[in-house]
Amino acid sequence: MDLTITRQNLHRALSAVTACLPAKTSLPVLSNILVECVDGGVRISGTDLDLWLRTTVPADVKTPGSVTVPGKKLEELAREMREAPVSMQLQGDQLNIHCGRSQFKVNGLPAEEFPALPEIDFGQGWSVVAKELHELIQKTAFAVSDEESRPVLMGVLWELREDEMRMVATNGHRLARMAVKAGSGGAEGKDFIVPPLALSHVQRLSDPEDEVEAAAGGNHLGFRLGATEVYTRLIEGTYPNYEQVIPKDNDRVARTTREDLARAVRRMGVMTSDQTHKIKLSFAAEQVRMNVTTPDLGEAHDELDVEYAGEPLEIAFNAVYLQEVLKVMGSEEVKMAFKTPERAATIEPGDGDSDYLCLVMPLRLVD
Amino acid sequence: MADCDAFFVQVARLEDPEGLGREPFLLVGGSSARGVVTSASYAARAKGVRSAMPTARAKRLCPEAVVVPVPRGACVERSRQVARVLSEHAPVVQPASIDEFYLDLTGTERMLRGEDLTRTADRIRREVRARTGVAVSVGGGTQRLIAKMAVGAAKPDGVHVVPPGREAAFMLGFDLKDLPGIGPAFLAKLQRRGLGSVADAVAVERDWLVRWFGEVRGRWLWERVRGIDPSEVDARERRKSISSERTFFEDVRDDDVLERRLLRLCCSVGRQLRAKELRARTVTVKIRDHDFRTRQAGSTQPEGVETDRGIFAVAASLLRELRNRRRAAVRLLGVGATNLVRQSEGTQTEMFDPRTTAATGRETDKDRDAARAADHVRGRWGRSALAPARVLEAPGKDG
Repeated sequence: MDLTITRQNLHRALSAVTACLPAKTSLPVLSNILVECVDGGVRISGTDLDLWLRTTVPADVKTPGSVTVPGKKLEELAREMREAPVSMQLQGDQLNIHCGRSQFKVNGLPAEEFPALPEIDFGQGWSVVAKELHELIQKTAFAVSDEESRPVLMGVLWELREDEMRMVATNGHRLARMAVKAGSGGAEGKDFIVPPLALSHVQRLSDPEDEVEAAAGGNHLGFRLGATEVYTRLIEGTYPNYEQVIPKDNDRVARTTREDLARAVRRMGVMTSDQTHKIKLSFAAEQVRMNVTTPDLGEAHDELDVEYAGEPLEIAFNAVYLQEVLKVMGSEEVKMAFKTPERAATIEPGDGDSDYLCLVMPLRLVD
Repeated sequence: MADCDAFFVQVARLEDPEGLGREPFLLVGGSSARGVVTSASYAARAKGVRSAMPTARAKRLCPEAVVVPVPRGACVERSRQVARVLSEHAPVVQPASIDEFYLDLTGTERMLRGEDLTRTADRIRREVRARTGVAVSVGGGTQRLIAKMAVGAAKPDGVHVVPPGREAAFMLGFDLKDLPGIGPAFLAKLQRRGLGSVADAVAVERDWLVRWFGEVRGRWLWERVRGIDPSEVDARERRKSISSERTFFEDVRDDDVLERRLLRLCCSVGRQLRAKELRARTVTVKIRDHDFRTRQAGSTQPEGVETDRGIFAVAASLLRELRNRRRAAVRLLGVGATNLVRQSEGTQTEMFDPRTTAATGRETDKDRDAARAADHVRGRWGRSALAPARVLEAPGKDG
């Protein structure tokens, strides 16, 4: 292997890929990245065996070859090198690097030891606009569960239909669901449970204007974002029937400015208990009173004008769940709907022009 | 602070004035080969016996000693009586343990018409003795820490008051190991820096203490060695943990037996949690192996647990984890509950029926109702009226 590459290109590729390397591993080769010469450039791959990242950048290749070297170290070197062309030669399993007057010799492992990427045929896939994918991810992925006892809820459900795609995430206490009018374009409908980490890499590594290709193979899903690819293991299992828990008859409706409500909940949130984050909302004609009582800390009270004409209602929530929903909602107004203090509340954008819905389960108050 | 002198020994004597009341060398604690001394009479202490010492060793030091089990019920009752008398003398009484109480006399200055604190303390001490039979020592000062340190100087059956302004000078007479809050690990660190006495630490600038021991502990130490303790006496101070542990008669190797013992401990912790209307978000399991190596594992759940089943689900997986790391014979097993939440804080309602989402460990409302119903039965027919069948399979033989 003998190649020359700009420092910037090298660093760009390395910082894209090393983000997925495991912090600790019993398999030394997983700390390494795979460097391969390909037509007109160099291809760099990294994995933690659940997620693979791979990107190709232009380089001047004199002699082809491949090797694996410690990823984080190479990334640090590329960051610290002077602004000059970088040449790399392989000698046995050692990578010799020259940049200006700097010289480095990095010990590697044979390329054959690097785990194989999942086999995915992008010819059998579909494509979507990155901007729409970004919005789906941003507005739903926050709601996943972090409880390992329910693995399916640790992923985002991606439902792909002919003319529409949806993402849903929930931890059993709050749920976010969003749909956009952009589907698979003819391919048959599919459902995937995708680890949110993979989606955040897709978001990080693509520009909103990009076209994103996606395809499935075996138990894996692949995304192609120009010269960069993201592969992930899918979460196996059956996603719970979420449609069934979305209330259709919540008839006590409150509307208010999202920003004002979000600020008020954040203010109240400071005084909630670290354990339950309990905030009590009392809706009455045209206003909502908020109360927090935390025995060891103190109290907080606030009021906000809202459009509300229903029967008076007292309902308690985990303030963090409300904060998270209000943060990603994005609209100027929000519409909240309730049935009883023990039933799920729905929160939607007030303008009603996007198909976005969040659901928050209340805290049941003890009599 | 009012502290009952050799409390368990005193209670044992009060319960049996003709018998144990006349034994000068009395030890309260486990009498089996592996038992430890819970409390020793002052005469036995003079021969070198200390609490937490294995009973066998105590008997070697003091062969004439009589060993009796802890009179638990009587201790709780006497402790309540002492607290009742104390609460007539101070507006705020905070129990620190079964035999220690902090009294905050703030606001009583006019009522006591400027009475010297030493006289007040002595009056309280005499009245507790007269009405409950229990001898207490009283330590006084302007802060909790000073009162706690002073009570040591007052023992037995005496009073020691540190006058305002003399706190720093009073503290100089102690070693760092005497300070509450300094455990073996911190003590070792202090020794490595050559700090043995309070005077040694007072000589070090605050910045150095912070640099050596970190921001929080450095500042804490700087304040404490000067007798500064900002904590207040608070009768409502919340319980921070509830735990239950057992030392076995014989080391246990069998995983199934260990799990059953664990379940029994979980039942005890659960009962205490529910009695105090609390839930625990963190459950910990402690193991002491036959070679005295102590290991611990904990897990924090998003929702608090209060039922025996809920606690056991978490504890059992922690026990397996600890056993997988080291499979040695176990001498002691314990279960702890921390991160306590009041039940009145409310219950997070669930979106999905827990049975359909395979949330095996999660405690449901049904579990909670069942646990309360079981408590009710036990309240009426006694603690042993109802227990999990698995616990009954292994007739109790632990110490």
